[in-house]
Amino acid sequence: MADVTDAELRSRLHASRVLIIGCGGLGSNAAEMLVRSGVGHLVLVDSDVVDETNLNRQFYFRDQIGMPKTEALADNLRRIRPGVGLMLVQERVDARTLPDLLPGVDAVIEAVDTAEGKAMVISTCMEARPGLPLVSASGLAGHGSCNAIVTDRIAENLYIVGDLRSDIRDGLPLFASRVMAAAAAEAHAVTRVLLGDPEP
Amino acid sequence: MRVEVVLFAHLSSFQPDGLGGRHSRTFDLEDGTTIAGVIASLSLPDEPRVIFVNGRHAPESQVLHEGDRLAIFPPVAGG
Repeated sequence: MADVTDAELRSRLHASRVLIIGCGGLGSNAAEMLVRSGVGHLVLVDSDVVDETNLNRQFYFRDQIGMPKTEALADNLRRIRPGVGLMLVQERVDARTLPDLLPGVDAVIEAVDTAEGKAMVISTCMEARPGLPLVSASGLAGHGSCNAIVTDRIAENLYIVGDLRSDIRDGLPLFASRVMAAAAAEAHAVTRVLLGDPEP
Repeated sequence: MRVEVVLFAHLSSFQPDGLGGRHSRTFDLEDGTTIAGVIASLSLPDEPRVIFVNGRHAPESQVLHEGDRLAIFPPVAGG
């Protein structure tokens, strides 16, 4: 990569399109970081509206409570970079509808909250487009060390971010610092893939 | 036939040697064994999981073949 100029790297990111499935703690923060890093196009998928309980870790503000998350996030991202390309999908995707979103994207960030949803996203993406890089998060709840959050490449095009075990179903709370650490790791794994460095 | 089996995260404790860890173990299986058959023989918990054979997503009904590498990953909730 030493002979690639900064302008060329920026150009690659600017030409890229990333699908973000879920705009909660992982997805909203990963979207912010990808836009700040210069990724040109995002597809934002979420069916929820902003709730007061989201404000402890998600990239929304008090005056956005009640807005669809996709619209609120789009507003916030355009305040950072007005020209960013955004496609908003205000629906809950499933194994039947998700494949329709995959053509034309360069990478996928799985950012849903349930284990069932994560398994569905991974299985559906890897079945529909096996060559498409996918970054998923698993194990980010609680106040365990951020050093336990790692990025692992467990299959050719599948990256897992997290400690792989801290589960909100065990009653562990979600803290902004640890959720954002995982979101940053997801965004950075995608950035590296888009720049041609597939190793985490 | 011989198949390599990798169990990620907490599933690693279900490896027959009880030693945990994410390194693969070699299983000697009857010809025609499916992924579902391996899952049942290991008594893996009924919870969300993602299955790969040789790095590609695979359904539980898939029949395994000599030299396959089976990997099972259990996502956990939070986001």
